[in-house]
Amino acid sequence: MAINLRPVDVALIGLGAANGVAVLPLARAGLRIAALEAGAWMKPGDFKPDEIRNNVRHQVTTGRKVAGEIPTFRTSPDEIARPAAQYHNMMNAVGGTSIHYYANHWRFSPWDFRARSETIRRYGAGALPAGTTLEDWPLTYEDLEPFYDITEYEIGVSGKAGNLKGAIDPAGNVFEGPRQREYPMPPLRSTDFTELVTAAARSVGFHAHMSPAAINTREYGGRPGCVYHGYCDTGGCHIGAKNSTAVSTIPAAMKTKNLTIFEYAHVTRIVTDAHDRASGVLYIRDGKEYFQPAKAVLLGSYAYENSRLLLLSKSKAFPTGLANRHGQVGRHFITHWASRDRVALFPRDLNLWYGAMGQAIMVNDWADDNFDHAGLGFIGGAGMQVSHEIHPIAAASMPTFGKTPRTWGSAWKHFVHENASRWTGVFIQCNTLPYENTWLDLDFEVKDPLGDPVCRITSGPKDNERRAAAFVAAKAEAWLRAAGAIEVITPPGAGAPPKLSNHAAGGTRMGDNPETNVVDRWGFAHEVPNLGIVGASVMGTHGARNPTGTVQALAWRTADRLVKNWKSIAG
Amino acid sequence: MDDGTPTITRRTVLAGAAALLPISAIQAAPKAPATALSASARATLDAVISRLIPNDELGPGALELGAGNYIDTQLVGYLAAEKTAFLNGLEVLEAHAHTTHAVSFAQLTAEQQDAILISIEDKNFPPVKPFFARLQRLTMEGTFGDPFYGGNRALAGWDLIRYPGVRLAVAPEDQKMDHAPAPSHRSAYAAASGEMNHGH
Repeated sequence: MAINLRPVDVALIGLGAANGVAVLPLARAGLRIAALEAGAWMKPGDFKPDEIRNNVRHQVTTGRKVAGEIPTFRTSPDEIARPAAQYHNMMNAVGGTSIHYYANHWRFSPWDFRARSETIRRYGAGALPAGTTLEDWPLTYEDLEPFYDITEYEIGVSGKAGNLKGAIDPAGNVFEGPRQREYPMPPLRSTDFTELVTAAARSVGFHAHMSPAAINTREYGGRPGCVYHGYCDTGGCHIGAKNSTAVSTIPAAMKTKNLTIFEYAHVTRIVTDAHDRASGVLYIRDGKEYFQPAKAVLLGSYAYENSRLLLLSKSKAFPTGLANRHGQVGRHFITHWASRDRVALFPRDLNLWYGAMGQAIMVNDWADDNFDHAGLGFIGGAGMQVSHEIHPIAAASMPTFGKTPRTWGSAWKHFVHENASRWTGVFIQCNTLPYENTWLDLDFEVKDPLGDPVCRITSGPKDNERRAAAFVAAKAEAWLRAAGAIEVITPPGAGAPPKLSNHAAGGTRMGDNPETNVVDRWGFAHEVPNLGIVGASVMGTHGARNPTGTVQALAWRTADRLVKNWKSIAG
Repeated sequence: MDDGTPTITRRTVLAGAAALLPISAIQAAPKAPATALSASARATLDAVISRLIPNDELGPGALELGAGNYIDTQLVGYLAAEKTAFLNGLEVLEAHAHTTHAVSFAQLTAEQQDAILISIEDKNFPPVKPFFARLQRLTMEGTFGDPFYGGNRALAGWDLIRYPGVRLAVAPEDQKMDHAPAPSHRSAYAAASGEMNHGH
C-alpha cells in the first residue's frame, strides 16, 4: 500500500538535462514542485581525471537504476532482441546526463523543423526516403528561438554567433538560423591544432568554427572558466565549469524554495484518474512505495525511459499504455546516426591529450539542406567535427594504419610509442529521420530488478542515412588530408547502422495530429492534458549535431506554457 | 551549501589540487591486496602479457609495468564476474602448450608463444579468441590506466606512449602541437593513508 504524500503542484519525473531546465521557470512562477530523481547529488570531488573510471567502467553515475534497465536491441521483429553491447550513455544523478556529456550545445537548423515540406518543395515528394514517417515539427525555428536564447543564458553557453539578426560571421556557424543575441560567453580557446584544422577546412572550401558549448570560458554563474584538463568526455567537471543543470538551473530553482528534490526515488508508474488526467506518480524510495499526488506531471527521463514508463503505466482507461490509444508511444524512435567514419595518421605530434570534447572544430557545409542534393539519392547530411581530447588507453588502442602486422608485440609497441599522439578522426552526425521500421517497446523476456520489462529497440535499415554518411565521410577525408594527414582509413564498423548511439530521440513525438503523435505542439500528451513530456523523446527528427541545446529549449518552452496556462492545463 | 548543492570556489579547486599526491606516496602501500590467480595461472598470464607488450630496447613491457598485477587484483574486485571465464581461458592456453610442446606456456620460447597467440587470433585455435581479445584489452588497461588500479607502474606506461599525464589545469602552452609538456607523473587520486584502493 503506497504512502500518500502531500499534493504538490508539479511532480517532475527525472531531474536531468531536460527537467533540470524545466524546473526553473516553474519554480520562479511560485509553483510547488516535487522532483523525483533516481540518482543523487554529485560533488566536484566525485569527478576524477581517470579514463578507467569514466570511459571504461562508466562509473560517473549514482544509484542502481540504469544498470538494471539497459535496453535490448534487434534489427527486425524476426530477431530475438539481445542486451545492447554498445554503451547506452545513460546515468542517474541530479543533473542526469548533463553531468557527463560533452556539452556541445547547438541549435537545430531551421530546416530540421520543416524537413518534410522543405524536401517536397525543393526536390519533390519522391525524394522522401522510403519508409520514413517524417512529419514537420509543429513549431518552427523562429518559434523556438526565444527559448534557445533564454536557456543559453540561464545555463551558460560559450560560442560565437554565426548569424546575428541576419549579419553573418564566419567565426560562428554561418548556416544557423538568425539569433537575437550573441552567446553569453566567447568560444572555448583555440590551439594551433584547432587553427590548423580550421585553415584546412577553409582551404577545401568548407566553413569551420569552434563549437558552441555549455562550458564556461570565463567566470559565469559564480563558477570558473574551463581549465582544459581533458577529462570532459563521459566525466564530470571537477570545477563546475561544465554547465550541467546540477550547477546552473537546478540551484537557481532551489533558491526560490519552491522545489524539493527526492534523491534515489525510483518512479514506477504514472497514475491517472477517471477523467484521463494524471493524478500523480508512484515511486519507490528506501524500500517503501510512495504516491506523490500532483496537479501536473512532467516526464523527463532518458529517451528510452520516457516511452517505457508510459508503456508500463497501463490502466483500464489506457490498456496499451498511458497516452497510447493511437499506438504512437515508442514509434518514430531515432538512434542518431553518428560515428567517427574517418580516422587519420599525421606526421607530427598533435598533442590532443588535453582540452575538452567541446573544444571542437565544426563544419556544417554538408549538413541539413545546405547543399544541392539533386541526384545524390539522400536527404539531409551530417555535421562534421574534430575534437581536442584523447585519453591514454584509447590512444594506445589506435588503429595501426597497416603499419604493423598486429596490435601487440614489439613492432606494435614501437609504433604506438611514436604515433599515439599523432592521430585523430572526424566524427560525423547525420540528420536522422524516423522510420516505420524503428520503434521502442517492452521486452518481456528481460526484466529489471523490480520485475518490469526493459525497453526493446527495433531498428531496421536506413539507406538514406547510410548514403548520407558515406557522402559526408568522403568530405571528412578531404578535410583530414588538407590538414596534413599521411594516412586516412575507415574504421571497422563505420558505415553500419548504429545499434545505440550517444543520442536517442523520439518515441513520444510532438505534433498536432493525435493519431501520429503522443504530445501536442507544447509538449502535453494529447490524451492526458496535464502530463507534459520533456527530453529528446519529443523530437520528430534528429539534427546533424548534438541535441541537448534543443532538448533544453523545448523543455523551458513546455514549462513556460504550463506556467502561463496553469489553470487550463492543471485544472 | 546546506541545500545540498556543491560549492565550487577557488579554495575547493586548490583543495582538489592538493589531493594529487606524487606517485611515491601511492607506492608506499603497506599491505598486498587480494589476488585471483594461483601461482601457475599467474605464470601463464605473465608470459602472455610479456608477449603482448614486451620488455625491449624501448623500455619495460606489460609485465614490468604491472599489468599482471592489475588483472590479478581486479579479478577479485571490479572484474570478479569474469574470473571463471578468465581462468578457463588461461587453462585452455596452458593445456594447449602441454599438448603441443609438453611444457607450460611460460616455458616455451618467445617464438613458440607468439605462434600460439597468432593461431588464436587468426584461426581461433585453440578456440579462445574472445578470451584473448579480453586479455589484450585488460593488458592495455593495466599498462595505460591510472596507477591507482595497480598497473602503469611509476607512470612508465604513460611515458611509453608519451602521454604527459594528469593535470588538473592546463595552460595554453601545454596544448601546442609538436610540443611535449613535462610529464606530471601523478595519479588522479590521493592515497590518504598510503593504501592503494584497487578500483571499486
